[in-house]
Amino acid sequence: MALGGTVRGKKTTLRLPVEADLDAYNRWMADMRVRRAHSVWHEPAMPATWKDRFKNVAKEKQAVLWSIDADGTLAGLALGHLWTMGNGFDVSQFLIDPDRWRSGLGFDAALALHRFVFDYLDLRVATVNIRADNEAAKHIADRLGFTEFAHGHEVHYRDGAYVDELQLRMDKETWQGRWSAEREYPPLAADATR
Amino acid sequence: MERGARVPAACRGRDALMFGPRIQGRNGVSLVPPTLEDFKLHVAWELQPEVGRFWGPRFGEMTADKQEERFKKTGADQSQLMWTIAYEDEPVGYTGIFGIDWVRRDGESGIFIGRHDLFGRGIASEAVRLRTRFAWDELRMHRVHNWIAHANRGSRRANEKSGYTQMGLFKQSYFRSGEWYDDWLGEVFARTFPDEA
Repeated sequence: MALGGTVRGKKTTLRLPVEADLDAYNRWMADMRVRRAHSVWHEPAMPATWKDRFKNVAKEKQAVLWSIDADGTLAGLALGHLWTMGNGFDVSQFLIDPDRWRSGLGFDAALALHRFVFDYLDLRVATVNIRADNEAAKHIADRLGFTEFAHGHEVHYRDGAYVDELQLRMDKETWQGRWSAEREYPPLAADATR
Repeated sequence: MERGARVPAACRGRDALMFGPRIQGRNGVSLVPPTLEDFKLHVAWELQPEVGRFWGPRFGEMTADKQEERFKKTGADQSQLMWTIAYEDEPVGYTGIFGIDWVRRDGESGIFIGRHDLFGRGIASEAVRLRTRFAWDELRMHRVHNWIAHANRGSRRANEKSGYTQMGLFKQSYFRSGEWYDDWLGEVFARTFPDEA
């Protein structure tokens, strides 16, 4: 897997990440708004370090990294990990440029990502961990169909205090029940294989 | 760790810790720094059906060269601490704290008893007690968490005795022998570690 291909939403497009995106990645990781909302993928670093990180993630068999575009410009990134067994997918990083928060990009990109997870990869479950006070993430996850399976106490540290973590999951049945109209391709025609 | 299927959390390292120090416990149990010879024992241990019910896939790149590579990587990893569990001075399993985040002071624990003929002797309980006490008294950690097969009552009980409490349940986590197995998620803090332990 390693680097993801194009997955289109209505407002956003998940696409192959390229080295030119790394400067924005670095800028986001250094943004305290981002760091307050969730864990960073990597700490801010020199361009050469980011290039090494990029090469390394490209070689990871269980990881998939996408850049997220909106209106033709880079607007975020998503990183997930496939389970080595059990057909699951952990969404490890999901980040929208903080200057573009509250414009619906997060939900749109998350919907596209999970359509890929369930309808394309045929996985049975997706998981994500979010900070308990991240209302925007909770809203997106709830709208998609995620439910809590664990509540970790005092997991993340920032602003001089610990914050809890919610561990959420969505099963394929939930996806199909809620988003069955969200197919990437129209159903095959009845005579398509004649 | 107990399940072996989920991808471990990303972590940030600091000064190297790698292999844990020797800690003498009760009833013939001790934690000792692993050796390459111990790592070579993992192959035979992990591939047995007797331990596979609550463990990994029972296949993998289990060559001697790969074990040496794992030994070196573990020894160089700044985000984990690993021990061999010794019982009456013989290696019988391993345990550790993995994926340690030194800012949050949080890590994921795991334990594996490879000698299934020694199950039920309290070895895991003592190893977890030693490991957990070390986390508070020497590492100054804030929290340790883990995933355990819900049906693995022995492992769950061993962790609960050292103060782990349930924080969640992951239904249908993995499939084994024709049925779904759930995972129990636990967490422990210094304040939940029993005074008498």
